[in-house]
Amino acid sequence: MTPPAPLVSRRTPGVPTRMLRPRGAMLGGVCAGLAEHMQWPVNWVRAGAVVFTLLGGGAALLYVWLWALTPLEPATGETDAAASAHRAFPVAPVLVGFAAVAAVIALVTAVVGAYAPAAMVALAALVLTAAAVAWSLLFDRNDPKRSERYGVATRTTAAVGLALTGVLLLATSPPVPATVIAVVMIVGAAGVLAAPAIVRLWTSLLAERAARAQEESRAEVAAHLHDSVLQTLALIQNRAGASSEIARIARAQEHELRDWLFAGTKPSGADFAAQLREVALELELQHAVRFDVVTTGDFTDRSFPAVLAAAREAMLNAARHAGGEVSVYVELSASDLDVYIRDRGPGFDIGAMPEGRMGVRGSIIGRMARHGGTATVTSDENGTQVHLHSPVVAHSGSRSAPSPQSAPSPQSAPEPSEPRASSADTQGTEGRER
Amino acid sequence: MTHESDISSADAGAGAAAPPPLHVLIVDDHSIFRSGLRADLDASLDVVAEAATVDDAVALIAQHVPDVVLLDVHLPGGAGGGGAEVLQRSSALLDRVKFLALSVSDSAEDVVGVIRAGARGYITKGSSGAEVSRAVRTVAAGDAVFSPRLAGFVLDAFGAVAGEQAAADDELDRLSAREREVMRLIARGYAYKEVASELFISIKTVETHVSAVLRKLQFSSRHELTAWALSRKLL
Repeated sequence: MTPPAPLVSRRTPGVPTRMLRPRGAMLGGVCAGLAEHMQWPVNWVRAGAVVFTLLGGGAALLYVWLWALTPLEPATGETDAAASAHRAFPVAPVLVGFAAVAAVIALVTAVVGAYAPAAMVALAALVLTAAAVAWSLLFDRNDPKRSERYGVATRTTAAVGLALTGVLLLATSPPVPATVIAVVMIVGAAGVLAAPAIVRLWTSLLAERAARAQEESRAEVAAHLHDSVLQTLALIQNRAGASSEIARIARAQEHELRDWLFAGTKPSGADFAAQLREVALELELQHAVRFDVVTTGDFTDRSFPAVLAAAREAMLNAARHAGGEVSVYVELSASDLDVYIRDRGPGFDIGAMPEGRMGVRGSIIGRMARHGGTATVTSDENGTQVHLHSPVVAHSGSRSAPSPQSAPSPQSAPEPSEPRASSADTQGTEGRER
Repeated sequence: MTHESDISSADAGAGAAAPPPLHVLIVDDHSIFRSGLRADLDASLDVVAEAATVDDAVALIAQHVPDVVLLDVHLPGGAGGGGAEVLQRSSALLDRVKFLALSVSDSAEDVVGVIRAGARGYITKGSSGAEVSRAVRTVAAGDAVFSPRLAGFVLDAFGAVAGEQAAADDELDRLSAREREVMRLIARGYAYKEVASELFISIKTVETHVSAVLRKLQFSSRHELTAWALSRKLL
């Protein structure tokens, strides 16, 4: 009932202040604001306002005047500045109550036969109900301390009462003016009841349209960049020669732009094919080499750390010793994983390979053997080919490769794969490429 | 991307007899790319015209009836269908004009869209002038040009990786064992000649297999392909 106490203490003595309406108010905050400003007790101000309103309405005019011209006190803290004033007095339900009383009077007078006064009172009921709904929509909906249900209940009660009054009034078969009022009541009630659904529909329509517009503009930007920038980058690569510095920079840029353009379609989590492509990109930046990575099979949520490490080593060798175009082909079937890395370098004599060459012997052949797979290296004057083979536990499997040694090396750690539905998405691998 | 010492070895012998130059039409909306490609193509190819939009391309193809059209996948104009639309609108000429698709992207939808619309092959724009020239001659001779990525897609789409195999050669929805081997080698970056020596068959046989796979890719009703094409309104 009483306004928050701090109102008085906020004032510094001797400094003239503007009159402000508090955010926690009874009705409009005018009485509290005035009391604060004039240093009067707020209850006396309120009593005076009520008395003078009843005595002739002068106070009501002054109230509305002050309400319109007095600014709201500034919002404090995190509260939303535009819409957080609390009005303690339940204006809307009270107005609905008055409207109900007026409606009953109107119906009684209509039944008695005094249609002219009945029409006047019915009009008053209509206006009061409209005011209640307006108050509910304008103030109560933005009020942080009024629940959504409170507003809906108020408006529904108002609308149902209005419709009932209208129907009953029509039932007395009144003359034209009262009939018009009754019809307006029914239509108004229907409007109030239907409004939320219409508003919701409209809002969702607008949101959908905005989302579509955004998607379209994104697609347009993507299409434009695809047609212009990506073409230019392809041209630069083409003209500069496959393994030149400029071509490599252009290629890296092309990949970056592609990733950015099609960011939404990127797979999340572990994916051997994506990881291998990343390795290829990284090596392309460091060496004069171009990897053509082709993958078949569904790699969603499947990673093979040991094979990836061995493949990386083989690709690094190809980049270092051969360069140029290197083909990488990965095939994942239900039971096997095969990786072929093929370069077109001068080749080398595997038999003459020194024992100490850690790259091929340790990192590729040895690593694959430790994880239950095989690595085959063939080399002649047309280039070198590395074939990595690893058995794979079928779809629901959670280990990359059965390790004959039970030593828990990081490569044999369980992969984070989930059992998946077995629907093979054949486009998956290729489509993700974009 | 076809590689060095490619299918052209057969053409090299014919080249000595000075065949008439092949007429080529370049369709690409990027003028820098067109002029660059034109400069890079070798002397046995004669560029008769260039087009930048779908409508221009359709009109010029009908006017010049070139041997080979180098067709960009992404093109402005027309109904927005790009290279595939050019193919559809020129379908009456498909037996006289061969189309070779060119694209910056290697995505499945781009590749398969133009192949199913009737292109005889696909090559990425990163390819060198010599590679493009070879591919043009291959296509003009009635054979197909597969990039490793396209071969990978074919293996995936026809379930070859999962072990599906055609019982009869004329089955459209599966690859035969031999076709699968050829596709795997192409996906691994082998040129036709290398595929031939690896499998102890002639280059001509490799080309026959590749053409058969291209036909399957164009006419198969395998549901992955069809569903995929339908979802992108390609059929």
